[in-house]
Amino acid sequence: MIKIAQLSCGTEYSGVQYEIEKASRSVGAKMVHPDVETSEIDRCIREFGFKPVSAQLKLMIARAVHLAEGRYDADAVFIASCFRCAEGALVRNELRRYIQEHTDLPVVTYSFTERMKANQLLTRMEALVTIVSRKELLARERQIGITAGIDSGSTTTKSLVMADNKIVGMSWTPSGEVLESAESTLNDALEQAGLKMSDLEAIGTTGYGRYTVGKKMDAKLVQEELTTNSKGAVWLAGRQQGEATILDIGGMDNKAITVRDGIPDNFTMGGICAGASGRFLEIVSRRLKVEVTELGALADDGDWRAINMNSYCSVFGIQDLVTSLAEGHTRADVAAAACHSVAEQIYEQQLQEIDVRDPVIQVGGTSLISGMVTAVGDILGKEPIVPPRSQYIGSVGGALLSSGFLEG
Amino acid sequence: MKIFIDPPNSLILFDLVERFGHEPLSVMATIQERVDNLEIDMPPMNVTLDDVKKGLDYAGIEVPSGIRGRLAVWGPLIDNAEAAIIMEDAPYSFGCVGCHRTNLLVEFLVRKRGIPTLEINYPHEEGEARNMVIKVKEFLEGLQ
Amino acid sequence: MKRETRLIVISPLSEITPDQITRAVYAMGHEVTVKETCYGALLEGPPETVKEVMDDLKKMDPLGIYSKIRGFPLGDPNRCRAQHGSRPGFSQLQREWQDLALVEKGLQCALRGEEAEEDDDRAPMPVKELQRICEEVE
Repeated sequence: MIKIAQLSCGTEYSGVQYEIEKASRSVGAKMVHPDVETSEIDRCIREFGFKPVSAQLKLMIARAVHLAEGRYDADAVFIASCFRCAEGALVRNELRRYIQEHTDLPVVTYSFTERMKANQLLTRMEALVTIVSRKELLARERQIGITAGIDSGSTTTKSLVMADNKIVGMSWTPSGEVLESAESTLNDALEQAGLKMSDLEAIGTTGYGRYTVGKKMDAKLVQEELTTNSKGAVWLAGRQQGEATILDIGGMDNKAITVRDGIPDNFTMGGICAGASGRFLEIVSRRLKVEVTELGALADDGDWRAINMNSYCSVFGIQDLVTSLAEGHTRADVAAAACHSVAEQIYEQQLQEIDVRDPVIQVGGTSLISGMVTAVGDILGKEPIVPPRSQYIGSVGGALLSSGFLEG
Repeated sequence: MKIFIDPPNSLILFDLVERFGHEPLSVMATIQERVDNLEIDMPPMNVTLDDVKKGLDYAGIEVPSGIRGRLAVWGPLIDNAEAAIIMEDAPYSFGCVGCHRTNLLVEFLVRKRGIPTLEINYPHEEGEARNMVIKVKEFLEGLQ
Repeated sequence: MKRETRLIVISPLSEITPDQITRAVYAMGHEVTVKETCYGALLEGPPETVKEVMDDLKKMDPLGIYSKIRGFPLGDPNRCRAQHGSRPGFSQLQREWQDLALVEKGLQCALRGEEAEEDDDRAPMPVKELQRICEEVE
């Protein structure tokens, strides 16, 4: 049984403790509260150096120090505090850093409201358990042999073949029937590589259709996209060591993942608002009568400041853009404003819940739209890295990680 | 009389209030009722989403959920209290009373009610303890 | 049936032991459950009976035995230390248990009818005074 140490404030009175325990049970883990002697708390606070006023936060710190000193045994750490609590957020983030600096334990953090999204919590717990139980596999930085990764996403399906740590073939298609899309893209990728299905030594699947595709293709690895995409992104960007933030803005949803040595330790997921996804850009493209692939270049020539947008919404925001066109603004300005709007909405919805660590690696379908990358850079005040083939992160991660099964 | 104690889970205040013949309104008793309510299955506290919404009676939506959830449980105790004892600077406020912001709001709500309220400091040595206990005794004996 | 669960805590100054408490409760013959703990005992039963037992127990050492209600029933897995490790309330109880020694001394004075002393409301040092000291230290 994997023991997850819970360092938290407010979970019991927010009605979310039950959900936390349910999620941990469902992935074969158990929440535990490190024992701390009351007389030890003050010493631990001095040791840590941050003196919160709230006693529960002091206890969180004392528990973390006990974990760091090896006085309590756990396999992973879950740090959570109430959303909108400044004191809690400061302690949560500093404890996360402290645990990472002083232990090898995987850690995820979470700021919750009473409307905690059960699936997001479950993904976090699943990722924690994966990191504990597949530590050696996730530490893999080089692909070996001949392997394939299939990312069966909700909008597109991507397959990619790797040989001796190099990409030798890749292909994508809009997701239709799950198996058919996977098979056709994999065949294309194999053809490019001059290989046959029987040459593949291992397959890794990820994305929404990972179970269906994984079963049919007898995949060695069937893995949620959080860990798989992170590994793929840092491999593609050549940033396997150290910290990074991965910003994955897809056609339908988006993720912001913070990683340390390629292994995720915190993330947020969107999916509530189309204004924070590639969908918004698709709608704008249609209005501007350009292909979405050309929107980025158009935006690069425009100035988002010229347009007055009062809403991020894909109904009201688009209305503002249409009005601007009618008022005589250029299509380039409108395209730039659309990119800026999506970037700003992602910043407000997603990035504020995690601590952005340098470098920012921008991936996912929208990273191919240059205007989006410029807009994200403007808002963050730092230029994101867009690795080559940034839409293939899931498949690269699948190919890389599945090759880990080829050794012993 | 019904006496609200703050910290609302204090062993020391609970015992002193009972010892001097009054009924302490404590968070433990409320939790006891919740835990025994078989119709709710949200262990450990049986604080539900609806409770956190009820907390809006005491604090706005921009206030963190942990504060609103606590207020949903303790707020009615303050509403029903006939008198109160507030012990400031309790060094042990862990767990239920671990959120300092909640504690500030609770003290404010008690003062706002305008009921007889004794405000004392947590004692650090015998002289202070002597003063604290004598004041609590006098306050409780003086309540009609 | 309504239950009441009580934490019984023995002051560090008292010579009563948790074992004596549990034996005394058994000897009373009431329909309650009692469990020895490191700081005293846990008592559970119908509220009226629990009150009766508490009143009798306190007679063993009126200033040495303290109690409060506990929200969770005996052996509740949500609060059991063996299941998840200690809960936050335990740190609080540990601290309050230590300070019962102070409360016990305070109670002795209060019951003797002593009066409270004026609070020592110290105002901050006037700035001029602090300046003088700073200059002296220099």
